[in-house]
Amino acid sequence: MKVQLVNIGKKYEGRENFTIRHIDLDIDDKDFCVILGPSGCGKSTLLRMIAGLTSITEGDLLFGGKRMNSVEPKDRDIAMVFQSYALYPHMTVYENMAFSLKMRKERKSVIHDRVLEAAELLQIKEYLYSKPSEISGGQRQRVALGRAMVRKAGVFLMDEPLSNLDAKLREHMRIELVRLHKSLDTTSIYVTHDQTEAMTMATKIVLLDKGKIQQVGPPTLFYEKPANLFVAGFIGSPTMNIFQGEIKDGLFHSTEEDFVVEPKAEDLALLKPFEGKKVAMGIRSERFIAGLADKNTVHVKVDVIEMLGKEQLLYCKFPNGKECVISEPGYFEYAVDEEHNFHFDVDGLHFFDAETTERIN
Amino acid sequence: MSKNKEKGLYLSDRPPLTPVKAVLLTISYILLFFYVFIIVWPLAQIVFSSFNGNQGEYIHVGGAYQFSLKHFKYLFQETYFLNWVINTIVIAVATALLTLLFVSFTGYAYSRYRFKGRKASLMAIMLIQTIPAFVGIAAYYTMHSIISAVIPGFTRQMFLILIYAGGGIAGNTFILKGYIDSISSELDDAARIDGCGNLQVYRLIIMPIVRPMLAIIALWSFIGPFLDYLMPSILLSDPKQYTLATGLYTLITDVRNMHQPVFAAGGLLTAIPIIILFIALQKQLVSGLASGAVKG
Repeated sequence: MKVQLVNIGKKYEGRENFTIRHIDLDIDDKDFCVILGPSGCGKSTLLRMIAGLTSITEGDLLFGGKRMNSVEPKDRDIAMVFQSYALYPHMTVYENMAFSLKMRKERKSVIHDRVLEAAELLQIKEYLYSKPSEISGGQRQRVALGRAMVRKAGVFLMDEPLSNLDAKLREHMRIELVRLHKSLDTTSIYVTHDQTEAMTMATKIVLLDKGKIQQVGPPTLFYEKPANLFVAGFIGSPTMNIFQGEIKDGLFHSTEEDFVVEPKAEDLALLKPFEGKKVAMGIRSERFIAGLADKNTVHVKVDVIEMLGKEQLLYCKFPNGKECVISEPGYFEYAVDEEHNFHFDVDGLHFFDAETTERIN
Repeated sequence: MSKNKEKGLYLSDRPPLTPVKAVLLTISYILLFFYVFIIVWPLAQIVFSSFNGNQGEYIHVGGAYQFSLKHFKYLFQETYFLNWVINTIVIAVATALLTLLFVSFTGYAYSRYRFKGRKASLMAIMLIQTIPAFVGIAAYYTMHSIISAVIPGFTRQMFLILIYAGGGIAGNTFILKGYIDSISSELDDAARIDGCGNLQVYRLIIMPIVRPMLAIIALWSFIGPFLDYLMPSILLSDPKQYTLATGLYTLITDVRNMHQPVFAAGGLLTAIPIIILFIALQKQLVSGLASGAVKG
């Protein structure tokens, strides 16, 4: 089902300002849409509005073209997985999964088939008659998914479902969830603060901050063309290096670190209007090339090394004490306190207007 | 050899006893035994006296013991004991049911809904709790005469039920609200998405989880009328309408009608309904059902 948010806003009772406002968003049928953002950005509020658990202050919510603002949650054709799983503790796993169908007065045989089908898919058949308190966290997670699955709802909502799992299990469940999404053939809306989850699972990411949409698009777009400085800083680990500076005679002059960069020709054309103005330049850690070049070179001292195996992160210091992160293959030999030359890969440079923080190139 | 070794192992989690601690521990035990004695000795006297045929009008400690059921016989044949039992049980059951019903609604509402005057009314309930129910005695008389003028069948006993239930609702609302507060509201949300209305959320999801607390509330409201002497002694005038507390009291107040061993026998029998209810609710009273609802 296609989900559309038209100029949606939410103001809580007793609050002075809108928590989120002017949200316009189209989520296509069968999209796996991840709503991403730091805590307190309003992403859960947005999901709860879609679910109908929180009222919509202004704007319209459309499911398949139909206005849903005042429709009860149970009539919205949605299923939801909660962060705490919210399993009913007094019911067995089977009863938990059957509950929504029972409330809809489905036939017993239909309920049984659907529950078994979901249990089969999620590999929880052995625990069907256990209480939630008797099974492990990962199994509870699966039950929560199963409970949402049996509904065969048009929209599948998930509110940070993986945040209570340990790292290994989370990695595993990410892939499971994508597989599940494909097999369910529904629209999924997934809320998280974890950019890895967003990057790995989404077909479409919505990045929220301070109650506003910062960027919408597929994961690669976020990594390669962040729309503004916030997105650039939020997506990617390690965080993108940002240098403040200005454009003089077609060259980027760093203000504090004292280096000069000559951008590639296409960027230069776009940077022309910013001649003499303040500009921020971003570069991801892997776009530094080791060694001296005839231009765009920086000379830094290695401060801390984080060895990750296939690569190593060098936390370097410029002579004036400013830091930057450079990643190099793990087999290169570096030692702390050594001084090295690196040059910028001009294809990997991001330019932002320092005033509006919007992307230039 | 290996057995000896095992004996030598110190397996307790607590540090070993030093002489000073041993003395302190002994004193603690002596105090505890003394405390137990204070509670158990009178109870034991009640049990012994009620079966002792040698006891006359007054209970004598010591003396000859002769097993007999004559005090029980007296209780059933010469007094309105059965009436009192039925009265008390009816009042107690009605009080417990009324309290449970209302507290379910109020506790759930105060925990889950935000409405105007929520805090103020909670405070008001709390403050009113501090006023003893007995203070309202004049008001009770007036209210009863007003209500019985409108509804002719409204008896003093019914009014007693309302007083007990009314008092119980206020205090228990707090207890149940606190208990429901500790249940994640995501459970409500999940139930709502699964297709429950407000009442269904309470009946199908919340109520089964708070069952241990409801059982405690039911038990307390049930015991209340068994223990209370003051209210029924003032409100009820006909001995046939008396509750157990007021009824049995007539056996030890007047020299002309003094039967202390019979009083003891009645007291012993009074405990039976409460014990039955306690055993019936024991399973419900065991808490910990809510664990596993959310992450763990």
